[in-house]
Amino acid sequence: MRQAWVFLLPGLAGLLLFYGIPFAGGIWYSVTDGSFDNQFVGFDNYLNVWNNQMFQLGLKNTLELSLICAPVLFLLSFLLAAGLHRIRPAGAFFRSSVLMPYLMPSSAVLMIWLLWFDYGGPVNRLLVSLGGARVDWLLGAELRAPVVLLFLWKNLGFCVIIFLSALQAIPESLYEYATLEGASFRHQTFRITLPLVIPSAFLVAILSFVAAFRIFKEVYFIGGPYPEEPLYTLQNYMNNMYSKLNYQNVTTAAYIFAAVVFVLFGVLFISQRKALQRLNGEE
Amino acid sequence: MKVRGIRLWLARGLLALLAVILLLPMVQTFLYSFASVSEMKAYMQTRGSRDETEWMEAHLSPRQISLEQYEKILIRDHTILRYFTNSAEYAAVILFGQMLVIPALAFGLSKFRFRGREGLFFIIILLMLLPFQVTMVPNVLTLRFLGLLNTPWAVILPMLFAPFYIFLLRQYMISLPDELLEAASMDGAGPYRAFLRIVLPVCRPVLGAAAALSFAESWNLVEQPLTYLTGCPEWMPLSTVFNQLARENTGFEFAGAGLYILPALLVYLFFQEDILSGIQLTEMK
Repeated sequence: MRQAWVFLLPGLAGLLLFYGIPFAGGIWYSVTDGSFDNQFVGFDNYLNVWNNQMFQLGLKNTLELSLICAPVLFLLSFLLAAGLHRIRPAGAFFRSSVLMPYLMPSSAVLMIWLLWFDYGGPVNRLLVSLGGARVDWLLGAELRAPVVLLFLWKNLGFCVIIFLSALQAIPESLYEYATLEGASFRHQTFRITLPLVIPSAFLVAILSFVAAFRIFKEVYFIGGPYPEEPLYTLQNYMNNMYSKLNYQNVTTAAYIFAAVVFVLFGVLFISQRKALQRLNGEE
Repeated sequence: MKVRGIRLWLARGLLALLAVILLLPMVQTFLYSFASVSEMKAYMQTRGSRDETEWMEAHLSPRQISLEQYEKILIRDHTILRYFTNSAEYAAVILFGQMLVIPALAFGLSKFRFRGREGLFFIIILLMLLPFQVTMVPNVLTLRFLGLLNTPWAVILPMLFAPFYIFLLRQYMISLPDELLEAASMDGAGPYRAFLRIVLPVCRPVLGAAAALSFAESWNLVEQPLTYLTGCPEWMPLSTVFNQLARENTGFEFAGAGLYILPALLVYLFFQEDILSGIQLTEMK
């Protein structure tokens, strides 16, 4: 046991110093007013931040963008993995090209992105040639499209690989046996594939949201440091409060957001349990 | 049977198209980086026109191959090179620090039994799930206490304890058979020697994967420098300046981007197999 501490100590000390202790200590900031005599104000900060317009805008945009990005990422990666799983021979080249963007600095790609989505750029050319009209992608609410697509470009590979390995781990004999028994494709999907893939699906769902909460990166790349209203995220609010040295609001906003995140993950966890129970219970 | 074959080829075609689209931004960046400065400047100036009748020229490769952009950023104008060295220093120091801390921590969490081990690991998973908007707050409080804000250490130090890599290595180490360590202790090797001589070499694939993923993360830093380095722009990494470069239209920004992609590309090609198997480990077992 004493030997274990030699291994654990440096890492745990760092985790405590940079996360544990200040996380607990930060609660003090969120319930005091930060004035000279630093009075205890109870939940006033929480109410103030919660009612603040910019905080609401940031929270709303962050959640909206996450609720677009994460489910799209989830579904798209599942479809791709299923496709790759069925046509194995072409898989190797594709697997490596789908994963590559995950390792590439998206900061260096943003210039190509801005060119593609320019008013006179290739994306609009494609739209027009398909009979559509030009869209001003780099202005207003439309800005979200390039941001979300850059996010998908970057993160797709990671999720595809997790789904793919889950699909490949299912023994082929299970399907052969089911086919011999005369089970339909639908039956096989619901009785074999889904129950065995759900744990990985849960993981991908969680990781999609973890990645989607970092959408600020893509927002910064496409929208710059002071983005328009549809792209103003919680991170912009935090940076703004932080540069004003308003530690009360920064900590309070962080705790509110942490609560929101954990509620979301709790819901995901419970629905995974329910789905597994239902699929297994029917047998 | 014939219909099936056609559908298979159709699916392959679609996947190939998607693969090409996914690779295109990198390819195009490299192609543009070999255009002359004046050609790139002229082309970039046609952006942003909202005239319904005008299109940007369809332009995939430069009209003339030229090394002028690279000459500019490597020899004549050192702005990009300076940010590039910042990035390289961040990536190198972070990787080195993580190597000292994280494998040992993962080993302690997986091959020793003590009370509270599972609880500790659970907390690390929770930390991994928290977005940066949340974890930046405890980080800032400590960094301010230590007086390190607006120094490069503000970016580096919190990254040394990044929970994701602890998680990744721990998942791998916990699946190693205990006999491996028992055999080592029979031979009279203590836990330190067993760790250095047996566990680390056995973990080579996952160490490679973690190193590559960590490099990719610190090569694309945005949130940390923008938050912690507001007072010292000279320490910004290259990843934060492309937005501005694109606006300024210097004519050599694509060589900068090509230069920036190159190390990441090499790391990816070198560690590809490790990364593929490493990512699969993120499954909870």
